[in-house]
Amino acid sequence: MFIEIKGIKRSFGEGESRVEILKGIDLGIEKGEFCVLLGPSGSGKTTLLNILGGIDSADEGYIAIDGERMEDMNEKALTMYRRKHLGYVFQMYNLIPNLNIKENIETGAYLSDNPLDVDELLKVLGLYEHRHKLPNQLSGGQQQRTAIGRAIVKNPDILLCDEPTGALDYNTSKEILKLIEEVNKKYGNTVVMVTHNDAIKHMADRVVKLHDGRIRENYKNDSKVSATELDW
Amino acid sequence: MKRNVLKKRFFRELKSEFGKYLVIFLFLIGAIGFVSGFLVASNSMLAAYDESFTTYRVEDGNFELSAPIEETLLATLEQEGLNVYENLYLTEEVKETSGRLRIFKNRAEVNLVCLMEGELPMTADEIAIDRMHADNNKLSVGDTLAVGDRTLKISGLVALSDYSALYEKASDMMFDATKFGVAVMTEEGFATMGDTHLHYSYSWRYDTSPESDKEATEWAEKVLALLMSNAMITGNAPVNFLPAVSNLAIQFVGDDMGRDNKMMAVFLYIIIAILAFVFAITISNTITKEALVIGTLRASGYTKAELIRHYLALPMTVVAVAAVVGNVLGYTVFKEVAAKMYYASYSLPTFVTLWNVDAFVRTTVIPVVMMFVINLGMLVRKISLSPLRFIRRDLSKRKKKKALRLNSKMSLMNRFRLRILLQNLPNYITILVGVFFANVLLLFGFVLPPLVDNYEKDITSNLIAEYQYVLKMSTETAVESAEKYSVTALQTVEGKLKSEEVMVYGVAKDSAYIDAEFGDGVLISTAYAGKHGLSVGDEITLEESFGEQTYTFTVAGVYEYPAALAVFMEQQEWNEIFGLGGGYFNGYFSDVELTDLDERLLATKITADDLTKTTRQLKVSMGELMDLFLVFGVAVFLLVIYLLSKLIIEKNAQSISMTKILGYTDGEINKLYVWMTSVVVVVSLIGTIPLVNYIMKYLFAAILADYPGWLPYSVPFAAYIRMAVLGIVAYAVVAFIQMRKVKGVSKSEALKAVE
Repeated sequence: MFIEIKGIKRSFGEGESRVEILKGIDLGIEKGEFCVLLGPSGSGKTTLLNILGGIDSADEGYIAIDGERMEDMNEKALTMYRRKHLGYVFQMYNLIPNLNIKENIETGAYLSDNPLDVDELLKVLGLYEHRHKLPNQLSGGQQQRTAIGRAIVKNPDILLCDEPTGALDYNTSKEILKLIEEVNKKYGNTVVMVTHNDAIKHMADRVVKLHDGRIRENYKNDSKVSATELDW
Repeated sequence: MKRNVLKKRFFRELKSEFGKYLVIFLFLIGAIGFVSGFLVASNSMLAAYDESFTTYRVEDGNFELSAPIEETLLATLEQEGLNVYENLYLTEEVKETSGRLRIFKNRAEVNLVCLMEGELPMTADEIAIDRMHADNNKLSVGDTLAVGDRTLKISGLVALSDYSALYEKASDMMFDATKFGVAVMTEEGFATMGDTHLHYSYSWRYDTSPESDKEATEWAEKVLALLMSNAMITGNAPVNFLPAVSNLAIQFVGDDMGRDNKMMAVFLYIIIAILAFVFAITISNTITKEALVIGTLRASGYTKAELIRHYLALPMTVVAVAAVVGNVLGYTVFKEVAAKMYYASYSLPTFVTLWNVDAFVRTTVIPVVMMFVINLGMLVRKISLSPLRFIRRDLSKRKKKKALRLNSKMSLMNRFRLRILLQNLPNYITILVGVFFANVLLLFGFVLPPLVDNYEKDITSNLIAEYQYVLKMSTETAVESAEKYSVTALQTVEGKLKSEEVMVYGVAKDSAYIDAEFGDGVLISTAYAGKHGLSVGDEITLEESFGEQTYTFTVAGVYEYPAALAVFMEQQEWNEIFGLGGGYFNGYFSDVELTDLDERLLATKITADDLTKTTRQLKVSMGELMDLFLVFGVAVFLLVIYLLSKLIIEKNAQSISMTKILGYTDGEINKLYVWMTSVVVVVSLIGTIPLVNYIMKYLFAAILADYPGWLPYSVPFAAYIRMAVLGIVAYAVVAFIQMRKVKGVSKSEALKAVE
């Protein structure tokens, strides 16, 4: 198993206000798999994604990536882990506002010894003619494509997507999902995507449904549908 | 009752940024308190000083004759509306101070004495000496002094109303309260001192005071004319003539305090303006951060005025409270500090603290108004956007800000840094201005001491002779190495610069003391050339101090003599020009002390000590002030850089957080965000030095234009290095704090929903 998640527990707050978000998660994801984490608000999917991304830590349990356990990593090692293996895509894009589109993507390329060609990627993303613009001069969909470009330019082993279509309209959402699907196919990255949108489960290899901090369902799709065929 | 809920944010904002507001608050208190204290003390002392002209019956002028005044002259002067008072004095050397005391009889009618400590002399062996001269020489009441060949007991410490600045001569560039002092004795005591060093000095007061300086000068010219006419008849020529209007010992304090007040006020305004811009940038960032909230509030019906009031409340409160506390401290603690500084420089009478409207306006009203206007201007500009623009976070005044294209051959990190620079340009410009101002203060603090030291070294290494004697009439010495010279004092013609004394020397052809070739024209001292911007080939015109004859010379060279404004020519030529015989001389240059000269024929003895009095007094008067400049300079520097670089980090917290998530190390992030600030700081620090230096040079020349003599502005390179190093060390502290701040930016910052 490429990603092994074992007995993960995580709570926030102290005393009476303590809330247990993850109550023991066991999960395995194979290399190159497109995994969708579904669940209502407060089910713990983003918390699990953040622990997987090394930007939050578990109270109990461990995560191992290709056999290497994250709990043994100090802050510096975690930074190197994110640098080498991860790409992150957020709902609100989180682009760096004072860098232009190309430079935002280059911030990802800078971290890799073997990055994809930035200009080529800009063309693939349909952003080449916008490359000198600042993020606030682009639409939400274009900004999210930039964020995806920044995440994949270093060709990461794992692409973590936290509600990547949460702030986008129907058509743009489908465009973005198609892009992620293509990236997954073309570069073979393992994709873990958190979403509210139940329809997205149909394009995943693996669907994990969380409820109240626990996995309610974990199954593999026998057949997937393309992002363009999704409807909600 | 309806309450504006926004007010609740006031204390929350204060609490969340307590450190920042506390630092600004304390700094404002320091600056306002110091300036307020300074203004209160100087205005109160100035009032006491102004009053002293009446209270202590300060003279309208004085003159010294070569012999006692004749009854006929006295009668003539009285007919012209002058009251003439005998004000004889003795100049005696004092063993304990290695200096001189000018001793008067205690005065009853003019230039009255203010007793500061102890008692006025009652017996013939008691003396009351100037308080500041005593302080500088660590003398106190009860000590004994070896004055001439007498031993006298100090009965009290006094301030003489005609010596508020202890100028020994009107031509001195600066007074020297360490080597020169004034004192009073009883009439009997004065009589026992003998008449070897007696000066026939007389003071006068007009029946009705002149109404302006111009009138005082015109009236004084008439007095001088009367003295000169009398001299033609009796031969009793004036040795000295000094109307009060041009007597630095009387006037200097008033002029200097006036200058100080203006300088202090400007200093405060610059600090307030810098802080106002820091606040303006802070508020601007907060508005950007809270755009959605502002848009929602405006959409809900909150008016622009309500929001402007809300965002203005905290900075205005901080300034207003700091102004109040600063003023309280100004009237109590800082007033004492400033008074102590003035008492260290001037011999002033006691003063009563006066409520000072001018200080209140300058330290409270103007700072509050400046802060209000600058921040209101920024807020009105920002809040004028429509609610929708706020909700869309589209706060740019221009349509859509275009990204500046940067050469993609440049490395990403360099482009990133340039973008940070462009994004935070207002912050960096304020840093530049702040650093520039801090540098001015630091240069004041760092430059003056070496400048004074250099000048002192220059003077002592370019002495004409160890001893320079000026004689009342020619007399011989047995010391063979002594060299005769002729000298007279002329003065420059008033033009852009005030008229001042120039010593014109006639020197032996192959002088052993002045190493120069005399050809056509004269040599002028480096001090003369420096102050008047003269060079070879220029013509100079000098006039008599007490006559109408003028002399024009061509400058043939500049002689290395920094101590005074002087002209050198061959003695024979000198004697011809001034109509004196070929064998005339009235002075000796000598490297050994001439002990065989008749003291009664000796007008002055000049040693290195006399020539370095300016530097000594500058060190005493400005020592503490220089330290204060350094402290304020470093404080301004730290405050501005700390606050603005903190803002830059806060403004970019989300980007920093995102770069952390992407996998950038803290070191890499520091290289982006802290490095850019470091570059700006170091470039500002070093880059502003030439400009600061230029301004200082200009200021220095402007200040010195009012003083007799010349102090060349030559700054040792080490002073600049020290300045830059201090700046960099101070910045290193800030950079360390900022690095910790970068490290502290949480990765969850990027996960927060962007407003």
